[in-house]
Amino acid sequence: MTDRQIMTGDEIRRAIVRISHEIVEKQAGTQGLVLVGIQRRGVPLAQRVAEAIEVHEGVRLPVGALDITFYRDDLSLVAQQPIVKGTDLPFDLNGTTVVLVDDVLYTGRTIRAAMDALIDFGRPRAIRLAVLIDRGHRELPIRADHVGKNVPTSREEIVHVRLAEVDAEDEVTIARQVRSTETTAAGS
Amino acid sequence: MTTAAPATGTLTATGAKPGAWHHRHLIDVDVLTWSEIELIMRTTDEMKGILARPIRKVPALNGRRVTTLFYEASTRTRVSFETAARNLSADVVSIATATSSVTKGESLVDTIRTLEALGAEILVMRHGISGAPYLAAEVFGGHVLNGGDGWHAHPTQALLDLYTMREKLPGGDLRGRKVAIVGDILHSRVARSNIWSLTAAGADLWLCGPATLLRGMDRWATAWSGGAVPGHGRFNVTTDIETALRDADVVMGLRIQRERMQAGLLPSMREYAARFQLNAKRLSLAKPEAIVMHPGPMNEGVEIAPDVAISGRSVITDQVANGVAVRMALLYLLAGAHEAAVGEPAR
Amino acid sequence: MSATKGPRQGGPPGPAVGEKVGRLELEKAWLVDPVSDRQGPGDIVVTGGVIESVVWLEGDEAAGVTDRGVVVAPGFFDLHAHFREPGFEDAETVASGSAAAAHGGYTTVAVMPNTQPALDDPGVLARIRAAARASGSPVEVLAFGAVSAGRAGEQLSAMGELADAGVIGYSDDGSPVKTSKLLRSALLYAGMLGLPVVDHAEDAELTSGAEAHEGYVASVMGLAGWPVAAEVNAVSRDLAVLADALRDEPRSRLHLTHISTAGALDLVRRAKAAGLPVTCDVTPHHLALTDEWIAGARRWSWEALAADGTPRDPWADAVLSGWPYNTSLRVNPPLGTATDAAACLAALLDGTADAVATDHAPHTVVDKEVEFGRAANGISGIETALGVLLALVDAGKLPLARAVAALTTGPASVLAAALGTAALPAARARGLTEGAPANLVVFDRGDTWKVTPEALLSKGKNSPLLGRQLPGRVLLTISAGRLAYEDPEAGDE
Repeated sequence: MTDRQIMTGDEIRRAIVRISHEIVEKQAGTQGLVLVGIQRRGVPLAQRVAEAIEVHEGVRLPVGALDITFYRDDLSLVAQQPIVKGTDLPFDLNGTTVVLVDDVLYTGRTIRAAMDALIDFGRPRAIRLAVLIDRGHRELPIRADHVGKNVPTSREEIVHVRLAEVDAEDEVTIARQVRSTETTAAGS
Repeated sequence: MTTAAPATGTLTATGAKPGAWHHRHLIDVDVLTWSEIELIMRTTDEMKGILARPIRKVPALNGRRVTTLFYEASTRTRVSFETAARNLSADVVSIATATSSVTKGESLVDTIRTLEALGAEILVMRHGISGAPYLAAEVFGGHVLNGGDGWHAHPTQALLDLYTMREKLPGGDLRGRKVAIVGDILHSRVARSNIWSLTAAGADLWLCGPATLLRGMDRWATAWSGGAVPGHGRFNVTTDIETALRDADVVMGLRIQRERMQAGLLPSMREYAARFQLNAKRLSLAKPEAIVMHPGPMNEGVEIAPDVAISGRSVITDQVANGVAVRMALLYLLAGAHEAAVGEPAR
Repeated sequence: MSATKGPRQGGPPGPAVGEKVGRLELEKAWLVDPVSDRQGPGDIVVTGGVIESVVWLEGDEAAGVTDRGVVVAPGFFDLHAHFREPGFEDAETVASGSAAAAHGGYTTVAVMPNTQPALDDPGVLARIRAAARASGSPVEVLAFGAVSAGRAGEQLSAMGELADAGVIGYSDDGSPVKTSKLLRSALLYAGMLGLPVVDHAEDAELTSGAEAHEGYVASVMGLAGWPVAAEVNAVSRDLAVLADALRDEPRSRLHLTHISTAGALDLVRRAKAAGLPVTCDVTPHHLALTDEWIAGARRWSWEALAADGTPRDPWADAVLSGWPYNTSLRVNPPLGTATDAAACLAALLDGTADAVATDHAPHTVVDKEVEFGRAANGISGIETALGVLLALVDAGKLPLARAVAALTTGPASVLAAALGTAALPAARARGLTEGAPANLVVFDRGDTWKVTPEALLSKGKNSPLLGRQLPGRVLLTISAGRLAYEDPEAGDE
């Protein structure tokens, strides 16, 4: 299994800064914006975007966390990842422009589930999407408004995003998936 | 034939990761490890979160069929399960056996097969005879969730009791906390399941009741007194209410049924109340902050005094609310059970 | 090892079931003869249905022949079985029961009278005999008459007429003899007729609603307990009534069937020591299985016994590999603890228990594929009895000769009073005797067989041993000189 680094800590930082500018630019300001990170690594990313926006705009946007566990379309994953990490949306969604933040955009199913979840909480005026990595292979008609890096991948590869808040360091790597009996037992 | 390694709840090499859920059925808490119980508690926390939202619903079980099959009349528990199922967007079918073909003598096995042919996926069953859900699980291709069988088990009740205790006790930790369960222990599936879950939680458990309704429990307590069964500590059995309640953190009352009198096990309800009723005076023996619990329905004036049932220390209504959340958690976990669990015997 | 010569080895086709065995030669087998109390390597020849010769081998000829290979013993005698006919033919018939018996190595079976109508008059006995003749099986079917009319526990049945018709004793099995008063009358009257009373010892008041042995396992599993006192009480009553009856009729005889608790066995032991003419039998399932099987354990009773003689904890030992609440385990009397099983074994070893009887109780799927508390009581056990006893022998718990005696001379001794009557001609030898009609079972201890619904010839598939490999494959059963059972794959040696 070969691990290839595709973003360093510095590159991640710069991408976040750029994304934060794009978000404000698209909104023509910060009015009505809220950031919602998708569990798990979308949450620290959303926090960092909020911090970056505060640095150049002087405004601290509200940040929430969204767990889409109960909105997935595939229950067979429950057995492998039943641990639910928590949804926390401490603001009124109605009329806001929600920017969903996630680490990797792949098939698009996570984002579809996230939108379903959001709408159960209220009626945003608009929903946008910011991701650190877009690795292609969309199965649903979903696209990101803001992308840190486009990385063409094959289906046999895995993209690992590591963030200091969760993984002790910042980097993005890509590896070829090794199919072993322990990790891919029936039902995965 | 040599006895193969049993599926007692400890994870075997099925490919399931630690922290994953691999039980196809939940018939009793005796097969759960502590980490599985913790998983249920955490999932229940999330379900409670959903119940606090403006839209108390998620699509997790969208399109899945949950069928309640209640051989014993029980509106409260059945509605609790059905609410839980609907909150997860499942389709719910209720079988009230009083009006079904069961009264025409259809066997349990035939009923289960018919329901399966009609699309039942998750069967929530309550039955008056101990062990019935295991028979159902043998012939049913889906998941069986036990809503109470005879005197044997009531896993969702024990889990919601545990959840409620952890919610209300400081630190959420039951280790060393004294829990007293008072009433008709002999005939109580709630008591039996609570023995398994509370000894796993490390609580200092006391069972109390008249000698005729405690038969066999002392033998069980003795068998476990040396810590023989891994993961479960000892518990105590007494006929003395004051010993049971003294310094208790949790006091749980169990319903006394009139039939026990008729069966020659109790002289009268009045005598039971005189010696064992949970009233304000007896409760003063417990810790000042002790909570009062009851699985319901209550015979106020018999096992519990009316003023105690509605006192500030009573968490009985919390139990009901938590019941929906716990059942949502279990329906969710069972529905997603690891496919390697399919085909494994019993547990 | 032995060679089985004769019709099956390239010669003319052998007899069909029911036909006389023309010629059978068994060489270098291990012979067990409990009548002469002898066992060892030997040759046996059967000609025209009669044992022509029995040769015990010595020295070089005997070399290499052990009791671990093919064994020849007298055909077994079951003191207690239910063939359900007339009345419950869905569960078993005399024909299917006889076939099952032969598969189990049995050449004589005594059936219980809880048929419908009950066997309380000679007409019902005639029906059973006719069914036995019509079955074509040479297995001898004997019968107990009911103690009370209709087994209702009130009036005595037509005991005299039944004796004349050839019953070998009386029982209300299924149920205990209802009252002490009735038992006393039965003992006196039967004693006068020279026949024993067989009691199913159960205090029915204490067992009302009971599902399983009252103990640790039942407490944990929420099953209504069957108190030990229920058997001890009933046995106590029976022994007291017997002592009383003897004063008036010294020929009174009592046999206690399927005794299962240490306490009751102790009472029988003391009664025998005091000279009371009481006998008892234990079942294979009470010897080998315990209540922990209901929780899902699947180990033999002696494996579940701790060094101090107390039962081991199945939850502590984590041995629950089977499905719990299996209804094939619901039986009357219920399976006891490992201590009770050990007491049954000790009783068999010291002679307190005179015999092993199967209490073969076949049931339909309808009666067993239900909730535990609703299931009919009973284990279909006549075909697995030998295998269970051989498991005890293999484990070093029971000598082979004792096991064979428990299945042959033991039951015969219980009915010694009835021997020589119209029912049991004395000529029906229970040993390997030259000149006697052949009553033999040949089984291979070096082989096993798997208990499956297809392998069981009984209509009753309610065996807790389904799926298990049992030691000792029955190769041949011959009753009264005629073929009763032949293993489909036998004769290849």
